[in-house]
Amino acid sequence: MTTRTAAGLPESWSVSLPEFEGPLDLLLHLVRVNRVDLTDIPVATICDQFHETLRLMEELDLDIAAEYVYEAAQLIYLKSRMLLPRQRNERGEEEEDPRQELVERLLEYRRLKEAAQSLAEIHSLRREVWTLPKRPLPEAEREDGIELGDVSLYDLLGSLRTVLLRYDYEHPLPLHLRGERFTVRSQVERLLASLEAGKVLDVLADLKARGSRGEVVAAFLAVLELCRLRIVRLHQTGDGGILIRATGARLAEHDLEALES
Amino acid sequence: MTERAEMEAALEAVLFVATEPLARARLLEIFDEADREEAEQALEAVLERYGEAPQRGVVVEQVAGGLRLVTRPDLSGYLVCLFEASGRNRLSMAALETLAIVAYRQPITAPEIQELRGVSSKSPLSTLLERRLVKLAGRKPVVGNPFLYRTTSDFLALFGLDSLRELPPLEEFEEALGLDGELLGAVGSAAPPEAG
Repeated sequence: MTTRTAAGLPESWSVSLPEFEGPLDLLLHLVRVNRVDLTDIPVATICDQFHETLRLMEELDLDIAAEYVYEAAQLIYLKSRMLLPRQRNERGEEEEDPRQELVERLLEYRRLKEAAQSLAEIHSLRREVWTLPKRPLPEAEREDGIELGDVSLYDLLGSLRTVLLRYDYEHPLPLHLRGERFTVRSQVERLLASLEAGKVLDVLADLKARGSRGEVVAAFLAVLELCRLRIVRLHQTGDGGILIRATGARLAEHDLEALES
Repeated sequence: MTERAEMEAALEAVLFVATEPLARARLLEIFDEADREEAEQALEAVLERYGEAPQRGVVVEQVAGGLRLVTRPDLSGYLVCLFEASGRNRLSMAALETLAIVAYRQPITAPEIQELRGVSSKSPLSTLLERRLVKLAGRKPVVGNPFLYRTTSDFLALFGLDSLRELPPLEEFEEALGLDGELLGAVGSAAPPEAG
């Protein structure tokens, strides 16, 4: 049990009170300061003092407080039962002392608390003993491989984490390429370049050969523009195909520039 | 160098390098099966040499079912002059209580620990798991299948115990507190109900 003071603690900790490990610890403390026998607890007194302490502890962590409140309710119940005369069962024996369960819990807790105390003492003695710090030593390969006894679920989780980290490293997020932009002008230039030698071009085949939807639209608009400017002519074939043929007219530079906007 | 002297030297070397307690059987594996008897004598000689002899700075101790070299406890003061005591930070009272409960009542579930302490023990438990003093040991076949916890060999090594049997029996603490069975039995026939 240590004493908390307000100094150096977050603002919410403004109480200065002995710190208990839990409601049972507080009960043991009350039993001790009242100098009463653990096996014959004056429930009313202890119950009142318990509630008084809780009021002081109100500013404590709510999560912890909940367990204290539960114990406080148990104490009130016990106090009420202590007020009633004990009933006798069919054989005329008095029923069990209502405090029995609480006493057993306190005794068990006190035993374990003592054990914890002795562990603490051993721990502080053992701190004087130094060994090599733990470090993985490459072990000679053993036939049975990993010693399973030494692998805990935590080790497994650790391995999983490593695997996932490595996976992320080996599979980086896909590169984000900036979307290609196709301009009508570039498509006009491309079409003119392939039409130059008075060749005939299948429009549908040309459109199909484009790499993306955006490029198809740009190429289609380019064909329309070239028609409008009478630089090409379109011919329909008997089987529904569309051919494009250069008329021989030159594309004026200002027309090309107009396509930019 | 006689063969025996080399054996002792080899054992010393292995103990020097090992970072965790090595079981005797494992130590003796470094020698030929045929030399087993000789090897055991060599080990005894090494153990004697590294007993609580005041002329040596390191001693062999038997913990967690194995042997390892550690410094003599009374020399700690010299060590802290040069080295920082890393990883030897204190355990909180909550962690020690939880550790004591796991040590004495294992295997045990988190709800059972909470019942015994009267308070949630989640965070001390995770501290103990992180420091590898307790480990998960399967699940209890009851509603909710809670995890069971046990202490580890690191726990034994840290507390200088060879096995769990070396834990002081809980009853000893009772005696220290001046409680005996008679008093416990008296609870049932305690005084008449007090006035509120």
